[in-house]
Amino acid sequence: MGLLTILKKMKHKEREMRLLMLGLDNAGKTTILKKFNGEDISTISPTLGFNIKTLEHRGFKLNIWDVGGQKSLRSYWRNYFESTDGLVWVVDSADRLRLDDCKKELSSLLQEERLAGATLLVFANKQDLPGALSKEAIGEAMGLDDIKTHHWCIIGCSAVTGENLLSGVDWLLDDIAARVFTAD
Amino acid sequence: MDIQVDICEGNRDDNSSNVVKIPERLLQREQARLDDAERRKEAKESHSVANENSEFFTKAFNRDRAAIEELISICSGADRALATQTLDEATAKTQQLQKFLNDSMMFLAQYELRQAQASLQKLQTSLAEKRDEALPKKKFAFRSRTKATEQVCDTVPATQSGETVIDGHTPAESSIGKVEETVYSKQCGFSNMDDMVLTKTAGEINKNDVLLSHLTNCKVRLFGSPSTLHIKNVSGCEILCGPVSSSVFVDHCSNSTLALPCQQLRTHNTTSTQVYLHVTSRAIIEDCQGVSFAPFTWSYPTLDEDFVVSGLDRARNNWTQVDDFNWLALGTPSPNWTLISEEDRKTTWEI
Ligand SMILES: Nc1nc2c(ncn2[C@@H]2O[C@H](COP(=O)(O)OP(=O)(O)OP(=O)(O)O)[C@@H](O)[C@H]2O)c(=O)[nH]1
Ligand SMILES: [Mg+2]
Repeated sequence: MGLLTILKKMKHKEREMRLLMLGLDNAGKTTILKKFNGEDISTISPTLGFNIKTLEHRGFKLNIWDVGGQKSLRSYWRNYFESTDGLVWVVDSADRLRLDDCKKELSSLLQEERLAGATLLVFANKQDLPGALSKEAIGEAMGLDDIKTHHWCIIGCSAVTGENLLSGVDWLLDDIAARVFTAD
Repeated sequence: MDIQVDICEGNRDDNSSNVVKIPERLLQREQARLDDAERRKEAKESHSVANENSEFFTKAFNRDRAAIEELISICSGADRALATQTLDEATAKTQQLQKFLNDSMMFLAQYELRQAQASLQKLQTSLAEKRDEALPKKKFAFRSRTKATEQVCDTVPATQSGETVIDGHTPAESSIGKVEETVYSKQCGFSNMDDMVLTKTAGEINKNDVLLSHLTNCKVRLFGSPSTLHIKNVSGCEILCGPVSSSVFVDHCSNSTLALPCQQLRTHNTTSTQVYLHVTSRAIIEDCQGVSFAPFTWSYPTLDEDFVVSGLDRARNNWTQVDDFNWLALGTPSPNWTLISEEDRKTTWEI
């Protein structure tokens, strides 16, 4: 069997990605997940533990892990790092008082060895709120320009209206696919 | 790994025209891929172990539950000794089931956990009812049993946050001065006030995100439907608010009374505060003490319209269901919050 055949075979078997969605509590992670999957978002409770959703998108099988962001749960985040292809960091763009907290948590994640290979998508969520900061302002507050260790992208979105959720996920898939599923 | 060797040999054979030349870079890439594939395989396996675990749990749990239900249903008061024996067995089995659930907590998703908790609750109730019915004079026997259950639950580690907050300021907050200034100029809400009566009209609130911060001994009335509400660093306040379409976020609040309808209530670092609540999903507390809950009773002339604007389901109020993130033990109630008994509830509000 030649190398190319092997590579092709692998491609087919492994069109599966593991996405880890993290962020402070109240950022809108679960709402994003449910909205993306076309589910009702009015009954969502603060996450006590985690949710996993497996869905097909553009021929990829996505395993999306949504872990609760309350302070008391953050120490458990590391239990979910292993084998993560994409990290989705969700920010409440209207929660200006916790931007500092938010930046600190993200920075420490990016130093994690087990997340070293992951692509980073930052969702500047809740853009529908009149008091929301722009994605540029959020990017600056998160210090994204200083990130040299990961491919990253920031997208302004709203989990309530659904705006830009798809384009964010599509960017993430493209980046991961280019990295993981193509030989060159 | 055999593949790797073949390729390397082929690559070294420069004269052979029918062997594909593979650049070093691609080889490295391939090695990385294989490592990665291995890593993925392991991960997938551990994932499927998790799945199997939860499947196993659900099967085993349902089987035991059915067995207990069966025991309860066959039990009648005709033969007292037999009834006692049957109910004792059912009680013991229920305790084991609780223990099983406690032990399985780590790999259960939230939904499964809640389902299981709910069915255990149901079992306990029907067990108690059956005991009352079949063995009317021996009620206390069941009580001593439930105590045993509680002891089992006590062994589940309850997380206690070790963080202490001094003067109501978290470390993160002190370094944020600059951002905070800009917040106050742009945002809808009130900040840095003492002993004031503060109101906003529906027109001002109109789906804005509202922030109330650094208020002491104020009476705040928000007539209208905000998109979201943040309450931060308040004490001695009475805050009454119209229906909030998404979440209400409370942090560092003390000796206050809040009345509000919302989709989620997230309460942090709060002490001695009463909440008159309409919540359509759930309320949570974290690092709180002495928070008490009652149903929302405040009213004002345009409340009905504001409910419509907010999109909140008026028929669904889960004000009694509070998750304490520092108290994840099953079975034992959190000491950090209570329900306000009917006679202690506030019934009149000054507008
Ligand atoms: N206006 C607005 N509200 C949003 C948006 N996304 C989420 N929310 C609201 O924000 C609140 C928190 O959303 P969740 O999805 O529960 O937040 P989370 O990040 O999962 O929070 P944890 O589970 O505690 O980590 C809910 O009341 C949502 O309705 C958005 O884009 N716009
Ligand atoms: Mg959540």
